Amino acid sequence: MPASRQPGFASSLRREWARLLARPWDLALITWLPLATAALLWWIFSAGLPERLPIGVLDQDQSAPSRQVVRWLDAAPGLRVLERYADEGQAANALVGGHVHAVVQLPRGLAAELKRGRAGEVLLLHNAQLGTHSGLVQRDVRSVVGTVSAGIELTARNKRGEPMARARAGFEPIRTALVSLFNTATNYEQFLTLSLIPAVLHIMAVAAGAWAVGCELRDRSLGQWLGTGPGRRASVAALLGKLLPSWLGIGAVGSAALAWLSLARGWQPAGSLAWTLVAWLAFAALSIALGAFLAALTRSLRMALSATGFITAPAFAFGGMGFPLVAMPALARAWALALPYTHYARTQTEQLIMGAPLAYSLAPPLWMLLATTLLLGASGALLAGTARRPETWGAR
Amino acid sequence: MRTTARTRLLAAWAATLRAVLRDKGVLLVLMVAPVIYGFFYPWPYSGEAVTRVPVALVDQDDSALSRQIGRFAAANPRLALQFVTPDERQARQALWQGRIEGYAVLPRELKRDVLRGEAVVVPVAGNGAYALLNKAVLTGFAEAVGTVSAGVEIRRLQAGGMGTAQAMASRSPLNVRLLALFNPTEGYGSYVVPAVALLILQQTLLMGAAMLVGGWAEQDELRATPTAWLGRVAGLSCIGLASGAFYFGWVFFLQEYPRGGNLPGALLLLALYVPAVCALGLLVGCWVRDRERALMVLLFTALPMFFLAGVPWPAEAMPAPLQLLRWLIPSTLGIQASLRLNQMGASLAQVWIYLAALGVQLAISLLLLSLLARLRKA
Repeated sequence: MPASRQPGFASSLRREWARLLARPWDLALITWLPLATAALLWWIFSAGLPERLPIGVLDQDQSAPSRQVVRWLDAAPGLRVLERYADEGQAANALVGGHVHAVVQLPRGLAAELKRGRAGEVLLLHNAQLGTHSGLVQRDVRSVVGTVSAGIELTARNKRGEPMARARAGFEPIRTALVSLFNTATNYEQFLTLSLIPAVLHIMAVAAGAWAVGCELRDRSLGQWLGTGPGRRASVAALLGKLLPSWLGIGAVGSAALAWLSLARGWQPAGSLAWTLVAWLAFAALSIALGAFLAALTRSLRMALSATGFITAPAFAFGGMGFPLVAMPALARAWALALPYTHYARTQTEQLIMGAPLAYSLAPPLWMLLATTLLLGASGALLAGTARRPETWGAR
Repeated sequence: MRTTARTRLLAAWAATLRAVLRDKGVLLVLMVAPVIYGFFYPWPYSGEAVTRVPVALVDQDDSALSRQIGRFAAANPRLALQFVTPDERQARQALWQGRIEGYAVLPRELKRDVLRGEAVVVPVAGNGAYALLNKAVLTGFAEAVGTVSAGVEIRRLQAGGMGTAQAMASRSPLNVRLLALFNPTEGYGSYVVPAVALLILQQTLLMGAAMLVGGWAEQDELRATPTAWLGRVAGLSCIGLASGAFYFGWVFFLQEYPRGGNLPGALLLLALYVPAVCALGLLVGCWVRDRERALMVLLFTALPMFFLAGVPWPAEAMPAPLQLLRWLIPSTLGIQASLRLNQMGASLAQVWIYLAALGVQLAISLLLLSLLARLRKA
């Protein structure tokens, strides 16, 4: 076989396009499957904040104030009083079985204590094994009890002869209030979907890069793609042509998702959507190049995909969007900072939610482009070497 | 007749185990990956709680009262006070740079207004994009300010002639006492990892089973009798049960997560969950019939399935069609049942619906496998 034919960008692109058309599932993995996955994630969170989480009530006092608390609990938008219990055993049983996320216990003698001017106590037994649920329930129950308590205090002060307006200012001289410094609608759809969709597309992009290159190795078709003696430059050019369809497909899906989530969902990004899109496209390119590099390095599609799983599947857990980076042990944080997703997520948050000036978010996308270039160069060199050694092709 | 069926079952069981041990790709996914992930996933959460979050205080009053709030904020275990400044812009820049995660603004004339009996509001700016940090910042500052505020109010009530105890009761007549059940420290890892464990188990088993089938398809060894398929499910299940025991026993124990609520129940769950997942994995393999593609497809499905399970996000908040769809995925049932049995200590009667659904899934998968076997033979 003569080594004269050098692979080029255009011929490689044409070859990849023909391969994708011949294998509809390969095409699906860089087009409609990412789109469907992104849509599914959006759909999961599309209701925004959860409403009407089921709780139970154990009213042992059966007094006017205890019934008032129960009524207000049921009226709170985040809660629904699903069950009322006759005794502690029933309540404990319901909590352990998990059909309510919390039980509010109004102990016997509550009204009597309040009447005597002593402080009364309401118990909230919450299922802390479900962190999100219990956090939401705690917030709503606190706010209901706080409101009832303030009402009782106001009435008492009024009885003591304080005018209503002064009493109102008097019962909490200094209060804290959350200010919406950034666009903080505390809308979970916004935060979770915005960070989750790029995390899943990241997995798909790295896998796509590994797949495009790894298939040629597995199917022993590296020679047909690169010839038997390609130069490094020619290999990089061929690699670019091969990876371009994946980048266009997944890049477009991610851009569409970002645009939809920030423009069509009733809020305005606080900073630059355009720069976020640039960052996303750089991140997508880096992901695909990383996948190609893993395949070129291991010379095995299977090993490349296993490595993809190891790097990308926990990326969201390490990314700092759920559990913050500052609370991680030092070595885990170092691993998190070595992952590209962590940096993309930060850039996106700075621009879309925190409204940081552009200067703060300039560097990460540029670093990502540099890393992409380095990975592509290294992959090209590795592939050029492998193309000369047909005995190493076909590893499983 | 009966003995041949049993021999065939045992032969398929042994052949499956041998195939797993011979295939280093399947071996890596089925036996090495669960062990690695068992240490890797809990790692970032090993601190469990979010404490000492870096914050700043914007003090525009610079009075005795504002400095008192500053001292309480500095002493609060949730917060790590980085600097005090009169300039809000400086704090905001630090927030953008990631040097702090939030700040409170003590307004000018804070002390004067409080002495005059006017209500004062202290704005707290948290970083709304990060829920846990935001909560720590808000709670930390609310505690610091609340302590000072309560002191002011009690002094006022005492000045009006009340005793200390009465003053305290009078300023907050009704209170909530929180009792955290099942995860008493409210640790983040204790909440996430026990759920993730079942998902890791599912994904590694699905991948291993589907890869194995892909290999059989290549070597034209896929065809088998229904009995042999049963043996294959049993062979894979042995490995899955070992991984399951590793998580329920070793990982939960090592990480000091809540555990052991209902051990016999948890073992029964594994005995249903593992075969249901293995049978599904074999079906996926028969459909994809390509070792590597099976791996690729299963990689990205994990994250959506985790969010459908109803743990990080309440199922009550999902659209109705998804509330049904999630019941088709073994991990949803496994996670819900495992949390109740392992962490919450529920009885079998309280989780029977999840176990029954897993049993139905297993039966359907086995039925499909045997139909497939008959179809191929014809």
